[in-house]
Amino acid sequence: MAKSNDLARVISGCKSGNAESFSEIVDIYASRAYGYFYRLTGNRETSDDLLSELFVKLVEKIGSFKGGSFDGWLFKTASNIFYDYLRDKQRQKKLFDVQKRQFESETIDAKQSGSEKIDELQTQLGRLDTDTRELIMLRFYSQASFKEIAAMRSEPIGTTLSKLHRGLKKLKKLMEQK
Amino acid sequence: MTMNGETEENLRDLFEKFLNSEQAVEDIRKGERILRGHTAPEPDGELTTNIKAEIAASLLRKKENTFRRIVYKTVAVAAGFIILAIISVKLFETKIVQPERPVSSSIIPKAVWESECLADDSAESATLVAEVEQIESDLLAMRLGENGGNGHEAITELELEMELTDISSDFWKG
Repeated sequence: MAKSNDLARVISGCKSGNAESFSEIVDIYASRAYGYFYRLTGNRETSDDLLSELFVKLVEKIGSFKGGSFDGWLFKTASNIFYDYLRDKQRQKKLFDVQKRQFESETIDAKQSGSEKIDELQTQLGRLDTDTRELIMLRFYSQASFKEIAAMRSEPIGTTLSKLHRGLKKLKKLMEQK
Repeated sequence: MTMNGETEENLRDLFEKFLNSEQAVEDIRKGERILRGHTAPEPDGELTTNIKAEIAASLLRKKENTFRRIVYKTVAVAAGFIILAIISVKLFETKIVQPERPVSSSIIPKAVWESECLADDSAESATLVAEVEQIESDLLAMRLGENGGNGHEAITELELEMELTDISSDFWKG
């Protein structure tokens, strides 16, 4: 209860434009949001950019937060930023499928290039489709309930559960096959 | 990383309701255990410091913009009031249009021209005209010799002209 009261106080400070409160929000959420972006992009530099963008958006949009789960609201924003990033990449490549394959192969190739040390999980996540990967990461890093995630994705809860089940089952299989 | 959502929800109930499978619950739990076993890298300290600095700068800009917006609004409202006041003054200003005065001839004395008694003016004019006509008639007769040697010899043409001039002068003097 104390934790949620603290968070409510910090959010209230953010709404008043208090820089200290925003710093507290960064301290609370930077790690989880960074993990979310990193697991989706497999690239530290891109994750740095997306994390910065998330907090800049937070400053702009904090006034539109009307209560409820702040974690859910913040990760919904993070999800939008990720899809915007994907769309931007798609615009550059012109063709979605080509870009998607390239994006996924980039994730895998990064390990081989040796420029970044990629763990096995990152490699296997790259084999999942973007939507499933995003759903798994949203559930894991936002710590939102299935009901909230279903609402964020504007789909029935049964669909969300089914997609997550299939995705995690496939990930488990891939990890066991390594 | 702990799964708060997992504790809040009864996964078994949810999955039994929607997927009707015990195995599904186990798959989910195993999958999430894998995720917990592989921690993602943390953001650099420098990155979070930069983000905080960027937020502070952004807040400052936001405050400046808010202040500027208030100033612009105040100036716009003040200008609006001034324009409205000017338009109102112009619209409601009572302007009396004076009719143009007719230009009077210098021959006619001002007292006669401005006199409002038209009957008097007409009578006086008629008298004058009658006298002038009488004199003119006398003068003409004299020139033509109509009354030559019949007792009017004393009245010369010069005297008649002088009389005519006197009458005219008296009239214009009022």
